[in-house]
Amino acid sequence: MTIPSTKELLQTMQEAAENLSKNDRRDFLRKGVSYLAGAAAVGSAGAASGASFSTNLPPNEPIWGRQLGSGVVANPYGEPSHFEEHVVRRTVPWLTAESISSISMSPIQNLQGIITPNGLVFERYHAGVPSINPDEHRLMIHGLVDNPLIFTMEDLMRFPSVSEIKFIECPANGGMEWRGPQMEALQFTHGMLSCCEWTGVPLKVLLEEAGIQPEGKWILAEGADGAHMSRSIPIEKILDDTLVVYAQNGEMLRPEQGYPLRLLNPGWEGNTSIKWLRRIEVGDMPWHHREETSKYTDLMADGRARRFTFVQECNSVITSPCPENPIKKPGFIEIEGLAWTGRGKIKGVDVSFDGGVNWQPAQLKGLVLDKALTRFSFQTKWSGQPWLLQSRAYDETGYVQPTLAQLREQRGVNSIYHKNSIHTWQVQPTGEVKNVQVT
Amino acid sequence: MFKLPNIFAVTLLSVAMVSGVVQADGHKYNLGAPASADEIAGWDIDIRPDGMGLPVGSGNALDGEAEYETQCAACHGVFGEGEGRWPVLTGGEGTLSDERPVKTVGSYWPYASTLFDYIRRAMPFTAPMSLSDKQVYGITAYVLYMNEIIEEDFELSNENLATIRMPNEDNFYVDDRPDVKNPRCMADCADVSSMMLASSLSGVTPIGHFVEGADAPAASHEGQHNLETQKEAKRKAEITGEEVSESLSAEPAMLSVQAQAGEEVYKGACFVCHGSGLAGAPKVGDATAWVERVGQGMNLVISHALEGYSGSTGFMPPKGGRMDLSDEQVTNAVHFMVESSH
Repeated sequence: MTIPSTKELLQTMQEAAENLSKNDRRDFLRKGVSYLAGAAAVGSAGAASGASFSTNLPPNEPIWGRQLGSGVVANPYGEPSHFEEHVVRRTVPWLTAESISSISMSPIQNLQGIITPNGLVFERYHAGVPSINPDEHRLMIHGLVDNPLIFTMEDLMRFPSVSEIKFIECPANGGMEWRGPQMEALQFTHGMLSCCEWTGVPLKVLLEEAGIQPEGKWILAEGADGAHMSRSIPIEKILDDTLVVYAQNGEMLRPEQGYPLRLLNPGWEGNTSIKWLRRIEVGDMPWHHREETSKYTDLMADGRARRFTFVQECNSVITSPCPENPIKKPGFIEIEGLAWTGRGKIKGVDVSFDGGVNWQPAQLKGLVLDKALTRFSFQTKWSGQPWLLQSRAYDETGYVQPTLAQLREQRGVNSIYHKNSIHTWQVQPTGEVKNVQVT
Repeated sequence: MFKLPNIFAVTLLSVAMVSGVVQADGHKYNLGAPASADEIAGWDIDIRPDGMGLPVGSGNALDGEAEYETQCAACHGVFGEGEGRWPVLTGGEGTLSDERPVKTVGSYWPYASTLFDYIRRAMPFTAPMSLSDKQVYGITAYVLYMNEIIEEDFELSNENLATIRMPNEDNFYVDDRPDVKNPRCMADCADVSSMMLASSLSGVTPIGHFVEGADAPAASHEGQHNLETQKEAKRKAEITGEEVSESLSAEPAMLSVQAQAGEEVYKGACFVCHGSGLAGAPKVGDATAWVERVGQGMNLVISHALEGYSGSTGFMPPKGGRMDLSDEQVTNAVHFMVESSH
């Protein structure tokens, strides 16, 4: 078989690919190129599956080094490699009645650094994702203000902007495990958690523009979605660090995250960061709406309930190893994880190998920012011994992440929200990792 | 008289230009437009416990009963007992400190205003903001009546809603965390002899995400629903000795133009019931269920969709509660569901 010229090759491929969908086309390119180039590789199997049978390993020159790849703007908005297609948001279907008012989790077991890619930020909808034309979107500010105002997106983007890296977490993160461990995957135990660089305007600036009156002590923030999701926020938070954001990680918000506009209350329950934000009313007392009475209140053992439990307290979890990332073989291992606190910066993280009897300090690495995910690391060796692996974070206020027993003693097991206890992974002699609880 | 101010204006302008500082009118940016009273009135839908925001009007449980059955019962149950995983609205009194508390409007919610506010802003699920104030007052009254908070003939209105006391109001208190103080102990922090280790339950993690063909908790809501439907069918079959029909998975259908036009309406409205079989709705993909109905004539199926239906097999409000949809849109959606269920 003669090898065709580059031009012939590209032309043949393009013709054949025209009728295929985008994903199929990528697949075709891989198969097609190896076939047309007369390569020794056996079609798609060589490209997609195990390396044991591969002719792409030394001393051979791999197939991708003997041919051309696709050109610029073959994919005008790029996607992750086909080989990373397992890195996706996932849901626990039995948690909710259907998918429209539901939640999905970020694959934090697969992520590096502290930034969550936009397509992987966890989702929480109360009436699905609306499709909003930004030209027809408005933000109204009224109530106890001197000048009720209505802003277009263009108006909002004309204000001086700020960009800040902040985590966002659902207060129900971990809430399935108050009574006992039941999720054999980090994505489901801790994945209602993401961290982005958000860009927008401090809400304080907008309220000053409207002229907030002295009696104004609370705001109501409301979404434009079918749920008209609403929450009451005290004015102290607004004056501190609440933002109205239109961008995340450098691009406009994703529809799932509130396009074209959302509130961001750094370090607070994710649902207070109202998505598809359309209205802010200033008042002298809270509104006690459904999502701050029926839901997002914390039922204690005595039958009473806490309300306005805004802060996401200091928390941490080991992301490697974890059930999805078992230890493959003995030797050097970097134990890595994430720590975060709604009260400021992470001060430090300790690691235990014996279920919390003895602790050793881990290293914080990379950026340590206010109300942002913070990565920690502990380098050691594993020689097949069983571990009860834990991490324990503490923040700049001196608060130390509690044990599950301590939380249960204070709150019982029915509060659903705000379970930030020390998490335990059982590393077995095989290197497999199980989700367990030590009390 | 005119000369002096002009000089001042010119001077100030040049200073501002040189320094690049915005000095107009304090630190205001003069962005945004005044919100008119009409604009505010249209969007200002919120209600507070003190009654602020309630529209003038009234309704009672007798008015609300029929509305509730049409608009709410499909998900919340005829008695507020909740269908499937949809919220339970009634009962649960005295259970809040039990091992399995039941949090309902009557047993848990601190304010009646929240009920009016929530129904108006978000219900019914498939058609938010579609109810009149009169309907909202009636349904609110009926839910309060089912919870034995008001009498059947109590005329709930903007005048008296704020006076209603909910049984659980006093059991809420403001966040008092941090409630736990864990010392940063580094050595010998726990007594090994008394430590307990609990392992994960099996069959709970939705492993369908990771393993092909897994039959314990599925990866999607649809998969989970099919799984539970099949389990229930098998359970019933064991009791009755009937055979289980396997008609749930449909081949991708070739859709007519009309059906294609109806797909979007289906996804935005009909899906909630016809995707899951809620309220006895024939499920898309369930050929048997649709063949029975289409057998009675497509016109009848369409008229039930447009005008509503109530019978022993289930019920459906007119247009599924989406009165904003045109007859044509609903008809197209019916074609989509029928053609997708061969």
